[in-house]
Amino acid sequence: MVISPVHYIALPLMAAFLIPLFGKLNKNLVRLIPGLVLLYLSYISVILMTQVITKDTTIIEIIAGWSPPWGINLVFSPFTGFLVSLFSFLGFIIWIYTYNFKPEVDYAQTQKFYVLFMMLITGAIGVVLTGDIFNLFVFLEITAISAYSLTAFYRERDGAEAAFKYLLIGSFASFLILLAILILYTQVGTLNMAEIAQRVPDMNPYMKGVILILFFVGFGIEAEMFPLNGWVPDVYTQAPGPIGAIFAGIVVKAGVYALIRIIFTLFDVVEVLQLLVVMGLITMAVAEVIAMRQGRLKRMLAYSSIGQMGLVLVAFGIGTHEAVFAAIFLMFNHAIIKGMLFLSATYLVYHSKEKNISDLDGIGKLMPFTAFLFALGSLAIVGLPPFAGFWSKLYILMAAADARLIAVIAIILVVSVIEIVYYFRVLHRIYFKERISTVEIKIPSFNAKFAMLILALVIVIIGVYPDLISGLIERAATDLLDKQHYIQSVLSVGRN
Amino acid sequence: MNEFLTISIYGTAVALMLIGFYAVLAKKNLLKIVIGLSIVDSGLHLLFVAIGYVNNGTAPIFSPEVLGSTQAMVDPVPQALVLTAIVIGFAVTAVALSLVIRLYRHHNTAAIDEIKNLKW
Repeated sequence: MVISPVHYIALPLMAAFLIPLFGKLNKNLVRLIPGLVLLYLSYISVILMTQVITKDTTIIEIIAGWSPPWGINLVFSPFTGFLVSLFSFLGFIIWIYTYNFKPEVDYAQTQKFYVLFMMLITGAIGVVLTGDIFNLFVFLEITAISAYSLTAFYRERDGAEAAFKYLLIGSFASFLILLAILILYTQVGTLNMAEIAQRVPDMNPYMKGVILILFFVGFGIEAEMFPLNGWVPDVYTQAPGPIGAIFAGIVVKAGVYALIRIIFTLFDVVEVLQLLVVMGLITMAVAEVIAMRQGRLKRMLAYSSIGQMGLVLVAFGIGTHEAVFAAIFLMFNHAIIKGMLFLSATYLVYHSKEKNISDLDGIGKLMPFTAFLFALGSLAIVGLPPFAGFWSKLYILMAAADARLIAVIAIILVVSVIEIVYYFRVLHRIYFKERISTVEIKIPSFNAKFAMLILALVIVIIGVYPDLISGLIERAATDLLDKQHYIQSVLSVGRN
Repeated sequence: MNEFLTISIYGTAVALMLIGFYAVLAKKNLLKIVIGLSIVDSGLHLLFVAIGYVNNGTAPIFSPEVLGSTQAMVDPVPQALVLTAIVIGFAVTAVALSLVIRLYRHHNTAAIDEIKNLKW
């Protein structure tokens, strides 16, 4: 079989709809197939990334024989390829974790879980790979619809309420994005992103402003940007634990990707970058302050996740090559670290009804392994050396210093202190308090331990040897900033 | 006559969107909110079709009659988009309705201001 980027979308989507059929043959297949698909995707990620990096090309995949700009094409460049590889890898790790997650859950529920899980992965990967703006919208909706359903997965929790809230805000976002696509189409007469990027400079500046604001707000909702991120904490708290990790690691990254692609490739306007810095700073500051006041572990992690996404937006908004490099590095780190924090936190508060931080008193002695990984993740996310989070924060500060943005540096540092305060408060409870709570503890299954251990190893190894990954990220940043190359490589396929 | 038709179609599209938003924002009943979302979608879909319309245009089918004639064709792209958008809107509405059923069973009410286990 020839390896091509189409597999990223075709296989998980096919698996999602065939899982119930395979379940009729053997019930274990329902749990095995998603893992095999994700393992295969991780494998082709390695091959395709090597191909793209060594040959210094961009793989353009034409769908159904309609060459761009008429048909839909997939773009596998160093930047999109990096994100897609990250999604496949993280998806595979989370699959290992979910394999024996809740053995008491019945077969029908497991089946539904994996169908939605595969749809979520398909949608997020599709958003990143596609080269067509309407197709991007369709994949965003696939992601959103499966995310709504997964939020309401547990019947005994308030998931339906959180999901309904998410659905209302998400529908508003998709309305704005669809309206923006419609207006954009009337102005440039094409849906292919490379061709749009080519024609946008000649567009009426007022129309450009209107379209950009619609896209900015619409994708801003998906990227957890202030002020329309009220759905985030509830969704992260009510969804099953591993799904929280997927939201933080994969779904939000797809939203950020869409926003960044629109701003950097389609609309090359300097003012938007400044707006992005300001919105990112507000998002970060507000979220971290609220995170400090949270009494529930998962809500705290959710607000911390919003804060980190704010920092990513700030770094993208600075707009220099170094800053974009730092932003992509932070996206990678946040996916790995916050993923691990969610996975370990799920077991720390497994039987706790309210999921309060006060239930964690003295749990470090009872669950040494999980508590240790959670501590490691906390140290990594606040940016202490020698963990992965240190490098991304350092690079962002250096990029801001080079751009002479003193106020930005000051705010990032103050917010980092707040971050340290609330993460260390949790660690203090875990290790230095006597246990008074009577909540039962749940020792993680072997799979869960293994999955968390892999992520922890990645955090430490990247922390000690950042050069392992910085070469890839360097190429990704160059690729994102090189708008002409994107246009050239997509449209040249059509001419041949 | 044609101008009147154009204005009334665009007017209807905008009016539908506004009615839908009013329902989503002002109504307390979960079902009415979902209906509102659906109306907003319909308005947007109408706008799509209206924008693709060309005066006196024919159906965009590639046939020998069209090839030689000077008659304009309507733009097929917005029509293709609107078909997809309708399917997506249908899926979102279905998920929303199933959530409403779940909420109703859980809380025994469909009034949005009585469902507040989470902070809104």
